[in-house]
Amino acid sequence: MQRIVTMSLMAILAVPAMAWAAEGAGGGDMAKAFAVLAAGLGFGLAAGLCGLGQGRAAGSAVDAMARQPGAIARIQTAMLLGLAFIESLTLFVFVIAVILLFVKS
Amino acid sequence: MEIIEHPPILHVAAIPDHVLYTWIAMGFLAVVALVASRRTSLVPTGSQNFMEIVLEQFVKELEETIGPEGRRYLPLIGTLGLFILTSNLMGLVPGLVAPTANLNTTAACALIVFVTYHVIGVRKQGFIPYLKHFAGPVPLALKPLMFVIEIISHCARPLSLSLRLFGNMLAGHILLAIFFFMMGFDGMLGWALSGSLGGIVVGAPAAVVMVVFVVGFLLPLKILVAFIQTFIFCKLAMLYVAAAVEEAEHH
Repeated sequence: MQRIVTMSLMAILAVPAMAWAAEGAGGGDMAKAFAVLAAGLGFGLAAGLCGLGQGRAAGSAVDAMARQPGAIARIQTAMLLGLAFIESLTLFVFVIAVILLFVKS
Repeated sequence: MEIIEHPPILHVAAIPDHVLYTWIAMGFLAVVALVASRRTSLVPTGSQNFMEIVLEQFVKELEETIGPEGRRYLPLIGTLGLFILTSNLMGLVPGLVAPTANLNTTAACALIVFVTYHVIGVRKQGFIPYLKHFAGPVPLALKPLMFVIEIISHCARPLSLSLRLFGNMLAGHILLAIFFFMMGFDGMLGWALSGSLGGIVVGAPAAVVMVVFVVGFLLPLKILVAFIQTFIFCKLAMLYVAAAVEEAEHH
Protein backbone atom coordinates (compact mmCIF):
# COMPACT_ATOMS: atom_id res chain seq x y z
CA MET A 1 0.00 0.00 0.00
CA GLN A 2 2.72 2.38 1.08
CA ARG A 3 4.69 1.54 -2.02
CA ILE A 4 1.74 2.29 -4.27
CA VAL A 5 1.25 5.67 -2.59
CA THR A 6 4.94 6.49 -2.95
CA MET A 7 5.02 5.42 -6.58
CA SER A 8 1.93 7.41 -7.48
CA LEU A 9 3.28 10.48 -5.66
CA MET A 10 6.50 10.24 -7.62
CA ALA A 11 4.55 9.84 -10.82
CA ILE A 12 2.45 12.91 -10.04
CA LEU A 13 5.58 14.90 -9.32
CA ALA A 14 7.35 13.66 -12.44
CA VAL A 15 4.56 14.22 -14.97
CA PRO A 16 4.60 18.03 -15.15
CA ALA A 17 8.38 17.99 -15.26
CA MET A 18 8.32 15.63 -18.22
CA ALA A 19 5.59 17.67 -19.88
CA TRP A 20 7.66 20.83 -19.57
CA ALA A 21 10.75 19.06 -20.75
CA ALA A 22 8.83 17.88 -23.81
CA GLU A 23 7.63 21.39 -24.53
CA GLY A 24 11.17 22.59 -24.32
CA ALA A 25 10.35 25.47 -21.98
CA GLY A 26 12.99 28.05 -21.12
CA GLY A 27 15.56 26.97 -18.51
CA GLY A 28 14.75 29.88 -16.18
CA ASP A 29 11.07 28.97 -15.95
CA MET A 30 11.89 25.36 -15.14
CA ALA A 31 14.30 26.38 -12.40
CA LYS A 32 11.75 28.77 -10.92
CA ALA A 33 9.00 26.12 -10.96
CA PHE A 34 11.19 23.57 -9.24
CA ALA A 35 12.37 26.18 -6.74
CA VAL A 36 8.78 26.92 -5.71
CA LEU A 37 8.00 23.21 -5.52
CA ALA A 38 11.10 22.51 -3.45
CA ALA A 39 10.42 25.40 -1.10
CA GLY A 40 6.86 24.28 -0.43
CA LEU A 41 7.56 20.57 -0.07
CA GLY A 42 10.73 21.10 1.92
CA PHE A 43 9.25 23.53 4.36
CA GLY A 44 6.15 21.39 4.83
CA LEU A 45 8.30 18.36 5.65
CA ALA A 46 10.51 20.36 7.98
CA ALA A 47 7.59 21.95 9.83
CA GLY A 48 5.78 18.66 10.30
CA LEU A 49 8.80 16.74 11.56
CA CYS A 50 9.80 19.68 13.76
CA GLY A 51 6.32 19.55 15.26
CA LEU A 52 6.79 15.87 16.08
CA GLY A 53 10.17 16.48 17.67
CA GLN A 54 9.11 19.52 19.66
CA GLY A 55 5.97 17.77 20.84
CA ARG A 56 8.07 14.92 22.18
CA ALA A 57 10.46 17.29 23.92
CA ALA A 58 7.70 19.44 25.44
CA GLY A 59 5.74 16.36 26.52
CA SER A 60 8.72 14.90 28.33
CA ALA A 61 9.41 18.26 29.97
CA VAL A 62 5.82 18.53 31.23
CA ASP A 63 6.09 14.95 32.52
CA ALA A 64 9.23 15.85 34.42
CA MET A 65 7.67 19.05 35.79
CA ALA A 66 4.65 17.13 37.07
CA ARG A 67 6.94 14.69 38.87
CA GLN A 68 9.27 17.31 40.28
CA PRO A 69 7.48 20.63 40.76
CA GLY A 70 10.49 21.92 42.68
CA ALA A 71 12.72 21.80 39.61
CA ILE A 72 10.32 23.58 37.25
CA ALA A 73 12.60 26.55 36.60
CA ARG A 74 15.61 24.45 35.59
CA ILE A 75 13.52 22.04 33.50
CA GLN A 76 11.99 25.01 31.71
CA THR A 77 15.41 26.40 30.81
CA ALA A 78 16.57 23.04 29.50
CA MET A 79 13.33 22.61 27.55
CA LEU A 80 13.65 26.05 25.95
CA LEU A 81 17.22 25.31 24.90
CA GLY A 82 16.23 21.94 23.46
CA LEU A 83 13.30 23.44 21.60
CA ALA A 84 15.60 26.11 20.18
CA PHE A 85 17.99 23.47 18.86
CA ILE A 86 15.17 21.48 17.26
CA GLU A 87 13.65 24.61 15.82
CA SER A 88 16.90 25.86 14.36
CA LEU A 89 16.92 22.90 11.95
CA THR A 90 13.52 23.99 10.66
CA LEU A 91 14.77 27.54 10.38
CA PHE A 92 17.66 26.40 8.20
CA VAL A 93 15.05 24.99 5.82
CA PHE A 94 13.07 28.22 6.13
CA VAL A 95 16.09 30.29 5.17
CA ILE A 96 16.77 28.00 2.21
CA ALA A 97 13.12 28.28 1.16
CA VAL A 98 13.26 32.06 1.34
CA ILE A 99 16.44 32.06 -0.72
CA LEU A 100 14.81 29.78 -3.28
CA LEU A 101 11.71 31.94 -3.50
CA PHE A 102 12.99 35.50 -3.35
CA VAL A 103 16.60 35.54 -4.51
CA LYS A 104 16.78 35.91 -8.23
CA SER A 105 19.19 33.48 -9.79
CA MET B 1 8.11 40.76 -1.27
CA GLU B 2 8.08 44.29 -2.60
CA ILE B 3 4.43 43.96 -3.61
CA ILE B 4 3.08 43.23 -0.15
CA GLU B 5 5.51 45.26 1.89
CA HIS B 6 5.54 49.00 2.45
CA PRO B 7 8.91 50.71 2.81
CA PRO B 8 9.81 51.84 6.35
CA ILE B 9 9.06 55.38 7.54
CA LEU B 10 12.66 56.53 7.70
CA HIS B 11 14.64 55.66 4.62
CA VAL B 12 17.98 57.03 3.50
CA ALA B 13 19.01 56.06 0.00
CA ALA B 14 22.70 55.52 0.65
CA ILE B 15 22.31 53.50 3.86
CA PRO B 16 20.76 50.01 4.03
CA ASP B 17 17.68 49.84 6.23
CA HIS B 18 19.05 47.42 8.78
CA VAL B 19 22.12 49.59 9.39
CA LEU B 20 19.98 52.71 9.86
CA TYR B 21 17.68 50.95 12.31
CA THR B 22 20.66 49.41 14.13
CA TRP B 23 21.85 52.97 14.73
CA ILE B 24 18.41 53.94 15.97
CA ALA B 25 18.38 51.01 18.41
CA MET B 26 21.90 51.94 19.56
CA GLY B 27 20.88 55.56 20.07
CA PHE B 28 17.77 54.53 22.00
CA LEU B 29 19.81 52.25 24.28
CA ALA B 30 22.46 54.93 24.82
CA VAL B 31 19.81 57.48 25.79
CA VAL B 32 18.17 55.00 28.17
CA ALA B 33 21.53 54.20 29.76
CA LEU B 34 22.38 57.91 30.13
CA VAL B 35 19.01 58.73 31.68
CA ALA B 36 19.20 55.77 34.03
CA SER B 37 22.74 56.53 35.23
CA ARG B 38 22.59 60.33 35.29
CA ARG B 39 21.87 60.67 38.98
CA THR B 40 22.67 57.30 40.51
CA SER B 41 21.56 56.97 44.09
CA LEU B 42 21.91 54.18 46.64
CA VAL B 43 18.13 53.84 46.79
CA PRO B 44 17.23 53.60 43.09
CA THR B 45 14.09 55.20 41.73
CA GLY B 46 12.46 55.40 38.34
CA SER B 47 14.54 54.46 35.32
CA GLN B 48 17.59 53.54 37.38
CA ASN B 49 15.44 51.07 39.32
CA PHE B 50 14.14 49.54 36.10
CA MET B 51 17.58 49.11 34.53
CA GLU B 52 18.94 47.59 37.73
CA ILE B 53 16.17 45.01 37.76
CA VAL B 54 16.86 44.16 34.11
CA LEU B 55 20.60 43.82 34.64
CA GLU B 56 20.10 41.79 37.82
CA GLN B 57 18.28 39.19 35.74
CA PHE B 58 21.32 38.98 33.46
CA VAL B 59 23.65 38.65 36.45
CA LYS B 60 21.46 35.91 37.95
CA GLU B 61 21.52 33.90 34.74
CA LEU B 62 25.27 34.46 34.33
CA GLU B 63 26.07 33.26 37.82
CA GLU B 64 23.78 30.28 37.38
CA THR B 65 25.50 29.26 34.14
CA ILE B 66 29.15 30.30 34.43
CA GLY B 67 29.59 30.33 38.20
CA PRO B 68 30.66 32.99 40.71
CA GLU B 69 32.94 34.76 38.18
CA GLY B 70 30.09 35.08 35.69
CA ARG B 71 29.61 38.76 36.54
CA ARG B 72 32.81 39.53 34.59
CA TYR B 73 31.00 38.74 31.34
CA LEU B 74 28.03 41.01 32.01
CA PRO B 75 29.24 43.72 29.56
CA LEU B 76 29.31 41.20 26.69
CA ILE B 77 26.09 39.31 27.40
CA GLY B 78 24.13 42.27 28.73
CA THR B 79 24.91 44.48 25.74
CA LEU B 80 24.07 41.76 23.26
CA GLY B 81 20.87 40.89 25.10
CA LEU B 82 19.60 44.47 25.37
CA PHE B 83 20.45 45.23 21.75
CA ILE B 84 18.79 42.07 20.44
CA LEU B 85 15.69 42.57 22.58
CA THR B 86 15.33 46.18 21.42
CA SER B 87 15.80 45.21 17.78
CA ASN B 88 13.33 42.33 18.04
CA LEU B 89 10.67 44.55 19.60
CA MET B 90 11.27 47.25 16.97
CA GLY B 91 9.93 44.82 14.39
CA LEU B 92 6.52 44.99 16.08
CA VAL B 93 6.11 48.73 15.55
CA PRO B 94 4.49 49.46 12.17
CA GLY B 95 6.82 51.44 9.96
CA LEU B 96 10.00 50.35 11.71
CA VAL B 97 12.34 47.58 10.66
CA ALA B 98 13.75 44.93 12.96
CA PRO B 99 17.53 44.97 12.37
CA THR B 100 17.63 41.33 13.53
CA ALA B 101 15.43 40.35 10.58
CA ASN B 102 18.56 40.77 8.45
CA LEU B 103 21.27 38.12 8.40
CA ASN B 104 24.08 40.69 8.49
CA THR B 105 23.10 41.98 11.93
CA THR B 106 22.65 38.57 13.52
CA ALA B 107 25.84 37.24 11.93
CA ALA B 108 27.72 40.19 13.42
CA CYS B 109 26.35 39.38 16.89
CA ALA B 110 27.13 35.67 16.53
CA LEU B 111 30.68 36.34 15.28
CA ILE B 112 31.32 38.62 18.25
CA VAL B 113 30.30 35.76 20.56
CA PHE B 114 32.40 33.26 18.57
CA VAL B 115 35.59 35.33 18.64
CA THR B 116 35.13 36.40 22.24
CA TYR B 117 34.69 32.96 23.74
CA HIS B 118 37.74 31.65 21.92
CA VAL B 119 39.78 34.63 23.16
CA ILE B 120 38.52 34.01 26.69
CA GLY B 121 39.43 30.33 26.43
CA VAL B 122 42.92 31.02 25.08
CA ARG B 123 43.52 33.64 27.74
CA LYS B 124 42.43 31.32 30.53
CA GLN B 125 44.43 28.28 29.48
CA GLY B 126 47.03 29.29 26.93
CA PHE B 127 46.93 28.44 23.25
CA ILE B 128 48.23 24.84 23.19
CA PRO B 129 46.23 23.55 26.19
CA TYR B 130 43.10 25.15 24.74
CA LEU B 131 43.67 23.40 21.42
CA LYS B 132 44.25 20.12 23.27
CA HIS B 133 40.76 20.27 24.76
CA PHE B 134 39.29 20.07 21.29
CA ALA B 135 40.51 16.46 21.14
CA GLY B 136 38.51 15.52 24.20
CA PRO B 137 38.85 12.58 26.60
CA VAL B 138 39.20 9.75 24.06
CA PRO B 139 41.95 7.19 23.30
CA LEU B 140 44.93 8.50 21.34
CA ALA B 141 43.97 6.76 18.10
CA LEU B 142 40.63 8.57 18.01
CA LYS B 143 41.99 12.03 18.81
CA PRO B 144 42.51 13.30 15.22
CA LEU B 145 38.95 12.32 14.31
CA MET B 146 37.58 13.93 17.46
CA PHE B 147 39.59 17.09 16.77
CA VAL B 148 38.12 17.51 13.27
CA ILE B 149 34.57 16.87 14.49
CA GLU B 150 35.01 19.34 17.33
CA ILE B 151 36.34 22.03 14.94
CA ILE B 152 33.32 21.53 12.69
CA SER B 153 30.92 21.75 15.62
CA HIS B 154 32.58 24.96 16.79
CA CYS B 155 32.28 26.46 13.32
CA ALA B 156 28.61 25.49 13.22
CA ARG B 157 27.91 27.46 16.40
CA PRO B 158 27.91 31.00 14.93
CA LEU B 159 26.01 29.67 11.93
CA SER B 160 23.17 28.22 13.98
CA LEU B 161 23.24 31.13 16.43
CA SER B 162 22.79 33.71 13.69
CA LEU B 163 20.39 31.73 11.52
CA ARG B 164 18.10 30.90 14.45
CA LEU B 165 17.57 34.54 15.40
CA PHE B 166 17.37 35.69 11.79
CA GLY B 167 14.94 32.94 10.78
CA ASN B 168 12.60 33.56 13.69
CA MET B 169 12.48 37.29 13.11
CA LEU B 170 12.13 37.05 9.33
CA ALA B 171 9.39 34.41 9.63
CA GLY B 172 7.39 36.64 11.96
CA HIS B 173 8.00 39.61 9.70
CA ILE B 174 6.78 37.81 6.57
CA LEU B 175 3.78 36.36 8.43
CA LEU B 176 2.69 39.80 9.66
CA ALA B 177 3.32 41.36 6.24
CA ILE B 178 1.14 38.74 4.54
CA PHE B 179 -1.66 39.15 7.06
CA PHE B 180 -1.61 42.94 6.85
CA PHE B 181 -1.63 42.63 3.07
CA MET B 182 -4.60 40.25 3.14
CA MET B 183 -6.71 42.38 5.46
CA GLY B 184 -5.68 45.78 4.10
CA PHE B 185 -6.91 47.94 1.23
CA ASP B 186 -5.51 45.48 -1.31
CA GLY B 187 -7.24 42.58 0.40
CA MET B 188 -10.40 41.97 2.38
CA LEU B 189 -10.98 45.56 3.48
CA GLY B 190 -10.60 46.81 -0.07
CA TRP B 191 -13.05 44.16 -1.24
CA ALA B 192 -15.55 45.24 1.43
CA LEU B 193 -15.17 48.91 0.49
CA SER B 194 -15.50 48.25 -3.22
CA GLY B 195 -19.27 48.11 -2.79
CA SER B 196 -19.92 44.72 -4.35
CA LEU B 197 -22.33 42.38 -2.60
CA GLY B 198 -19.73 39.63 -2.12
CA GLY B 199 -17.36 42.13 -0.58
CA ILE B 200 -19.91 43.29 1.96
CA VAL B 201 -21.11 39.78 2.84
CA VAL B 202 -17.76 37.96 2.89
CA GLY B 203 -15.01 40.58 2.85
CA ALA B 204 -16.10 42.67 5.82
CA PRO B 205 -16.52 39.78 8.29
CA ALA B 206 -13.28 38.24 7.04
CA ALA B 207 -11.44 41.53 7.62
CA VAL B 208 -12.82 41.72 11.16
CA VAL B 209 -11.85 38.10 11.90
CA MET B 210 -8.34 38.75 10.59
CA VAL B 211 -7.90 41.89 12.70
CA VAL B 212 -9.00 39.97 15.80
CA PHE B 213 -6.68 37.08 14.93
CA VAL B 214 -3.67 39.32 14.33
CA VAL B 215 -4.17 41.53 17.38
CA GLY B 216 -5.25 38.74 19.70
CA PHE B 217 -2.91 35.97 18.63
CA LEU B 218 -0.12 36.91 16.23
CA LEU B 219 1.17 40.03 17.96
CA PRO B 220 1.33 38.40 21.43
CA LEU B 221 3.06 35.43 19.82
CA LYS B 222 5.62 37.75 18.21
CA ILE B 223 6.27 39.49 21.54
CA LEU B 224 6.79 36.08 23.16
CA VAL B 225 9.13 34.99 20.35
CA ALA B 226 11.12 38.22 20.65
CA PHE B 227 11.76 37.60 24.36
CA ILE B 228 12.41 33.86 23.99
CA GLN B 229 14.89 34.33 21.15
CA THR B 230 16.77 36.96 23.14
CA PHE B 231 16.87 34.59 26.10
CA ILE B 232 18.10 31.70 23.98
CA PHE B 233 20.78 33.77 22.26
CA CYS B 234 22.11 35.00 25.61
CA LYS B 235 21.85 31.58 27.25
CA LEU B 236 23.78 29.92 24.42
CA ALA B 237 26.43 32.64 24.49
CA MET B 238 26.75 32.06 28.25
CA LEU B 239 27.04 28.30 27.73
CA TYR B 240 29.81 28.77 25.16
CA VAL B 241 31.72 31.12 27.45
CA ALA B 242 31.16 28.72 30.34
CA ALA B 243 32.54 25.82 28.29
CA ALA B 244 35.63 27.86 27.37
CA VAL B 245 36.21 28.91 30.98
CA GLU B 246 35.36 25.67 32.72
CA GLU B 247 37.66 23.31 30.86
CA ALA B 248 40.63 24.65 32.80
CA GLU B 249 39.27 23.24 36.02
CA HIS B 250 38.29 19.79 34.80
CA HIS B 251 41.65 18.56 33.49
